[in-house]
Amino acid sequence: MENNELSSNTRKLECSDVSKCFQLLESILDGDMGEEGKDVLKEKLAKCQPCFEHYHLEQAIREVLKNKCTKQPCPEKLADSIRQMIQEIK
Amino acid sequence: MSEVQRRKYSQEEKTAIFDGEFMPHIDSMYNFAFRLTFDEDDAKDLVQDTYMKAFRFINSFEQGTNAKAWLFRILKNSFINEYRKKSKQPAKVDYQEVETFYNSDDVDYQSTTDLRAESVKDMLGDEISNALNALAVDFRTVIILADLEGFTYEEMAKILDIPIGTVRSRLHRARNLLKEKLRGYAQTMGYKTDEEEE
Repeated sequence: MENNELSSNTRKLECSDVSKCFQLLESILDGDMGEEGKDVLKEKLAKCQPCFEHYHLEQAIREVLKNKCTKQPCPEKLADSIRQMIQEIK
Repeated sequence: MSEVQRRKYSQEEKTAIFDGEFMPHIDSMYNFAFRLTFDEDDAKDLVQDTYMKAFRFINSFEQGTNAKAWLFRILKNSFINEYRKKSKQPAKVDYQEVETFYNSDDVDYQSTTDLRAESVKDMLGDEISNALNALAVDFRTVIILADLEGFTYEEMAKILDIPIGTVRSRLHRARNLLKEKLRGYAQTMGYKTDEEEE
């Protein structure tokens, strides 16, 4: 992350509204906030340590889910048998 | 994703749509089906049924719209209507869910604060996968759609037939439950879960 160099003592250590902030961060990570989200995110990451940590944790979880849980191999013959069934009902 | 029959495709158009827009999603469809059913044969049947329905109702698919979301919606409905009843896992999963709930002091924020991004990155695929699979089906589904398949809230709302607000809150809750499970693995496996550098 580009904000990693910032030392954590420039951020406040307590987040005043954790539940609301975290849900907001999750929406931003999910791309649900558009351009507006980027500004909010920048400010939160720069100013709030709990938000900073939560953001990185959430990001890490999304990455491992995406990289490690999408590799269930589809049986080779499945596509062929589907095509064959479609041929039969055409 | 309108159910309205807009036009009729010719036999050639049907084949082109089926091969060009539906079949490329078969890996994602199988992964979703397997994570819903936990059984290879059930997953195969579910994917097969979904493609059969997709072909049968192809006239209600509007070309140029999101084929993957359309297919996922059919798969999820087929699962609820036909497979959920005979799924082999629910009792066990529900029990685990309850257990986690009562064994933790606070399911929401506090108990997850000591889970670190570094520990998560070090976890093995099996641990991540097991944590995901241990979630109740509704929570597991939103994580799969959002994080594995990259659907937007709006697409998820259509796939699941629920309002966007419900997508957002269900996903938030699902993520808290998943973090809870990951924290359990992190502790068991001896990953660092406390802040050491401070």
